[in-house]
Amino acid sequence: MGRPFQADGDGIRVGIDQDEREVLAHLLDQVADLLDPGTPDPGPVDPLAEALGLDPAELPGSGVEGSGAASPPVAEPEDPAVARLLPQGHREDPAEAEEFRRLTEHGLRARKRSSLRLAGAALRGPEPPLLTAEQAQALVKGLTDLRLVLGERLGLRTDEDTERLQALVHARSDPDDPFVGLAALYDHLTWWQEYLVAALMPPRGRFARRGGRRG
Amino acid sequence: MSVAPVELEQPEQQELTRPDVPWVTIVWNDPVNLMSYVAYVFQTYFGYPKQRADKLMLDVHQKGRAVVSTGSREEMERDTEAMHEYGLWATFQKQS
Repeated sequence: MGRPFQADGDGIRVGIDQDEREVLAHLLDQVADLLDPGTPDPGPVDPLAEALGLDPAELPGSGVEGSGAASPPVAEPEDPAVARLLPQGHREDPAEAEEFRRLTEHGLRARKRSSLRLAGAALRGPEPPLLTAEQAQALVKGLTDLRLVLGERLGLRTDEDTERLQALVHARSDPDDPFVGLAALYDHLTWWQEYLVAALMPPRGRFARRGGRRG
Repeated sequence: MSVAPVELEQPEQQELTRPDVPWVTIVWNDPVNLMSYVAYVFQTYFGYPKQRADKLMLDVHQKGRAVVSTGSREEMERDTEAMHEYGLWATFQKQS
């Protein structure tokens, strides 16, 4: 079996067979679905803000005078896996955490979903794809989000939990146990991600945007 | 917290952020993210050299957390949001 991911010229060559790529693409799509807010309650849509790509919550005066806050607060997601994908931005001050969520969660959900869809689409098809930089970066983030969801479902809370999980998978105990099956999937995704990170990592990878943020 | 006499209203201005107080972005350890990936994110997003990115990654792994950037509140909120986009658990706070 060849490497699942390998730097190749300006791209990343995927060495995963079509069936497995299809499964991975499907799982990435499922995470994107999980991040769909479902019953969004954006209130009255501001067409100008929408046209300009602005978050109405960030605009001054977007609330009706006397009705309280400018936009309704966004509650922490009830599903712990979704909550892990959209974590609290402030640990000590619930008001700060709530404000950060109100300002960022909508955009974060949208960007994650778009990135997951992009990664899934890039994997599909009969021929092993050569991923562009953008596709490879979307995939490495997508594998992270997928593993975070599975990790939450598997009850991973500490590094020791992860070690126990690896031991369980490598002992090949009871393959019919759904927990063991999920653990094996998690382990396989971890292995893929290690290869993808290695292929992307500077200086070997060529995609690092050095100084992507100046601060 | 002590209770102030009712006639003494606390001025609201005390709550305003002073621009000279630095803020920090902290990345917390978690059992899922790979050490290699965390170092990759620090190199890719912050543009840190490999050695610094690896040191910060090891701090996260071994000490449970690391301050990964320092700056204005606005910048730290942006960095926190970016870390969440990469799947790392980050928070921002006033430097202690």
